[in-house]
Amino acid sequence: MPESRTIQLVDLACTVNGRNVALRIEPRETLADVLRERLGLTGTKVSCDAQVCGACTVLLDGQPVSSCTLLAVEASGRAVRTVEGLARDGSLTPLQEAFIEHAAFQCGFCTSGMLMAATALLEEQRHLSREDVVHALEGNVCRCTGYVPIVDAVLAAAEAGQ
Amino acid sequence: MTIPRFELHVPTSVAEASELLRRYPGEAVPYAGGTELLQTMKLGLASFEHLVDVKRIPALAGIAVQPGGWLRIGATTTHREIERSALVGERLPALRLLERQVANVRVRNTGTLGGNLCFAEPHSDPAAFLLAAGARVRLGSAEGERELDVDAFIAGPLFTDRAPDELLLDVRVPPARPGRGHGFAKLAFFERPAASVACRIDVAEGAIADARVAVASACESPVLLERVGQTLVGARGADLDDALGAAVEAARHDVETFDDVNGSADYKRHLVGLLLRAAATSAYEEATRA
Ligand SMILES: Cc1cc2nc3c(=O)[nH]c(=O)nc-3n(C[C@H](O)[C@H](O)[C@H](O)COP(=O)(O)OP(=O)(O)OC[C@H]3O[C@@H](n4cnc5c(N)ncnc54)[C@H](O)[C@@H]3O)c2cc1C
Ligand code: FES
Ligand code: FES
Repeated sequence: MPESRTIQLVDLACTVNGRNVALRIEPRETLADVLRERLGLTGTKVSCDAQVCGACTVLLDGQPVSSCTLLAVEASGRAVRTVEGLARDGSLTPLQEAFIEHAAFQCGFCTSGMLMAATALLEEQRHLSREDVVHALEGNVCRCTGYVPIVDAVLAAAEAGQ
Repeated sequence: MTIPRFELHVPTSVAEASELLRRYPGEAVPYAGGTELLQTMKLGLASFEHLVDVKRIPALAGIAVQPGGWLRIGATTTHREIERSALVGERLPALRLLERQVANVRVRNTGTLGGNLCFAEPHSDPAAFLLAAGARVRLGSAEGERELDVDAFIAGPLFTDRAPDELLLDVRVPPARPGRGHGFAKLAFFERPAASVACRIDVAEGAIADARVAVASACESPVLLERVGQTLVGARGADLDDALGAAVEAARHDVETFDDVNGSADYKRHLVGLLLRAAATSAYEEATRA
């Protein structure tokens, strides 16, 4: 019994990097789709598309989520932060500075996810051990750096009092 | 990969959710964190026209101690909420430790305990723990509620005793008390564990009075190994090591493992033994702590 159904659209009202966003979207759109395709925020990358690699990490009310597999409607009424929201008026955060200083990226594909996951950690915890950093970044995969410079950079940012 | 089109419903009561599930037989499913469901829909392994979001239903939320000391964890509680709950930390430190190691921080932030149990994935760490802990689950629909053991709820790989129009409301863990300890140990090479073992030990008058052992990931579905727990009963201080040896032998014999990317069936039997020793030792230590 084929039935033609009208396509459901839902309201999405949230903030992205502090700015109000109001869109009408399909429920099936992922947060990564909305950020990249509708808002042009392509700093968020999609790689595995399976919640494993962390390239798509953004913060939802301060907590890391996989935007590749999160429905965008879940952001309703909440605050989304992406890598584009880290630097203020062109000045990088201590974490971003530390990434440059420690050569914590090569190709850069994992970097925005790493930065967001580490930002959430640094905002919650001031005193970090190497083990804390490794645990927090366990779900973020990097094919280039071998991880050591990334962990060093996060520890340096913690020292610098991010 | 795009997720095939669906309609999203956001009910605020169990009755409303259950009626929606019944209105679209075979086409509607509950949706919580979506960490399993959306992935299977993306891959085309399952397709649903209607997703019924259960996260706005107050009856499914929260963590609280109930009269009698049972710990109630609502189905929509995320792994991260459990990991960070002071109540869980005080009463069930082994569960807190377990939750801290589930998947990665992003999956823990969105994935729920209810979704984990209802998906009945063979690699469920919480299922192993809840089996050993003797936990009960409560299911609800427009018709009413029922309660059953986690053991009866998990019916097989990717299969539970839940009717299509029922929701998992909550999980209840028997009281933590002096003389009781829980332990958990797992080994993972990839995102999902290769093997995990959970254990609950009750000690009375210096000897093990009761022990329950459950295994997940290494076998087809999380299981309670009843005979293995019994091998520990009666053991006290000096002969604990012998009893553990016997339990390890029994577990390696009774668990039905299989070959996969994590290793051969033999290797996984070996792992189960090692993890059992670790889990039982920490359960015993907690049970005998002053
Ligand atoms: C990369 C990755 C790694 C993982 N690693 C681990 C691990 O190490 N250990 C582990 O234990 N798990 C692991 N998981 C599984 C994870 O724990 C579960 O994905 C998560 O908890 C499922 O919950 P959810 O809310 O996302 O469920 P959903 O995807 O929303 O739902 C899953 C299923 O349960 C049903 N459902 C959900 N809630 C209810 C309810 N209240 N009543 C009735 N039915 C319901 C849905 O209809 C669906 O069939 C991993 C998952 C991923 C993606
Ligand atoms: S793209 Fe989302 S986790 Fe890999
Ligand atoms: S810098 Fe290339 S993947 Fe991390």
